[in-house]
Amino acid sequence: MSEEMNKEYFKKLAKQLMFELSDEESEDIVKEFETLNKQLALLEKVNTDGVEPMVYPFEDETTFLREDEVTHVISQEDALANVKDKIEGHFILPKVVK
Amino acid sequence: MIKEMAKDVANVKERCQEAYQKAVVLQEKLNDAITLVDPSEQLESLPEGGLFHGVPIALKDNVSTKGILTTAGSRILSNYVPVFDAEVVTKLKKEGAVIIAKASMDELAMGGTNLTCYTGPSLNPWDTKRMTGGSSGGSAALVASGVVPMAIGSDTGDSIRKPASFCGIVGVKPTYGRISRYGIIPYASSLDHVGFFTRSIEDACISLQALAGRDDRDMTSSYREVPDYLSLLDSDLTDKKIAIFGNVQDALTNETTKDLFTNLMKQLEKKGAKVDVFHFSEDLMKAMLPTYYLIANCEATSNHSNLDGIRFGVHEKGDSMEEIMTNSRTKGFGLLIRKRFVIGSYGLFEENQEKLFKKAQKVRRLIVDELNECLKEYDCLIAPASNDIAPLLNDTSRDELSDGYLIVENHMVIGNFSGYPSMTVPMGMMDGCPIGVNLTCRAFDEVTMFGIGKAIEDITGYKDLTAEVK
Repeated sequence: MSEEMNKEYFKKLAKQLMFELSDEESEDIVKEFETLNKQLALLEKVNTDGVEPMVYPFEDETTFLREDEVTHVISQEDALANVKDKIEGHFILPKVVK
Repeated sequence: MIKEMAKDVANVKERCQEAYQKAVVLQEKLNDAITLVDPSEQLESLPEGGLFHGVPIALKDNVSTKGILTTAGSRILSNYVPVFDAEVVTKLKKEGAVIIAKASMDELAMGGTNLTCYTGPSLNPWDTKRMTGGSSGGSAALVASGVVPMAIGSDTGDSIRKPASFCGIVGVKPTYGRISRYGIIPYASSLDHVGFFTRSIEDACISLQALAGRDDRDMTSSYREVPDYLSLLDSDLTDKKIAIFGNVQDALTNETTKDLFTNLMKQLEKKGAKVDVFHFSEDLMKAMLPTYYLIANCEATSNHSNLDGIRFGVHEKGDSMEEIMTNSRTKGFGLLIRKRFVIGSYGLFEENQEKLFKKAQKVRRLIVDELNECLKEYDCLIAPASNDIAPLLNDTSRDELSDGYLIVENHMVIGNFSGYPSMTVPMGMMDGCPIGVNLTCRAFDEVTMFGIGKAIEDITGYKDLTAEVK
């Protein structure tokens, strides 16, 4: 990370995550990263040469190709039940091309 | 208790209505539910028989319930009504269970305090000035206060086992894959487990019996047969080998906790168990929390990118799709969640992935390798679930770089790294509040875990321990 981890840095990062941080909130994160970086140093101390990442607890195969049968169907009405703005089975959003 | 309730068919309606009324009254004092569910409608269409016939239960509010508000403790989902049931709900309904509450939780299950729910903190039934612990704090409190004999929780770091300790009840996180996660609003997929709270080991056996089993809609769920846990329950400790988690024991500072734990170990020895101390490499223990933090937050950031206020959830106005999403997410998430997403995103930057995220995944393997070494020889790894009883609501005294915090308060993540079954059982009382002991066993060996848990319950006498809310 070449950039300095200051308030502006975290505000920019938050924007990429599609939310805002206030000045105060951003300042809070700067302070939190001071502790976090010390904790991350403890992680760095561990020698992991030649160790494979552990992605899931078990490496047993539990997936399969299911039969091509339609199951657990929900209606279009149900699928859109939690949508605020909708019309004739579609979401309503602001115009993309203006 | 569950077995007796299920047999007592004549009093089903009265029992469920009483539980509901008790939940309504306690809500004023404890704020432990997000939604209270009047059971009248469910009581009209109960199936015949079942392990939970007419037994009132509560669900953590990240469990999807068809037609019932499911918020995961977050403002962004405060209007979300699922159109389907989680698999655990389907199973419990088939067994005749009656839902009376959707319980309070830390926002999106991220947190260990239950202070971050959008409806406010849930309060500990033993002392309302104290936390329940989190993130499944509402579920724990509803069981501890005697409203329901069983409540569903979820556990990504210790979110069932820590509140169980603070509320004086049994908290079970079974093996990864033992209970389907279909319909549970996720936190971190490689660490998330569904589990539950009860007030006795026998009830824990019945609960796992009802909840476990393969579900094709959860690709991580296991094909293994589900044993009859209750009939296999055996508290005989002859030839059982128990390993004390030495690093945790060394870092304890509370003298009463040390005494309670030491005495319990002596009692287990008296009952025939061989008890030794097992030490993990200290470097790995100190790296446990940052390992957890990185994996959990990186996975959470990715899992929750679908919370955008467009397809479901709270929708804020904006002139463009981006603006709608940004406004919805800014107002929808609390500060703690946004902080965690920032950390997760930081760990996932291309330039940080190897150094942080993958490094954490490698350290996870090393920690689990050491646990495997331990469990090769021992049936169980045991340690106090916490240094102390539940913290006061305004307690901010923790030192996040101390061994006390890094090791004692976070050691239970080892059960999530490994996926092995892990459970907290009440160990003793201090200042009128409970504290628990945690045990972790081999993968899919819940039978041994319940057996040792039962032996502990017999020693302490804390069966059906219930808080009287003042």
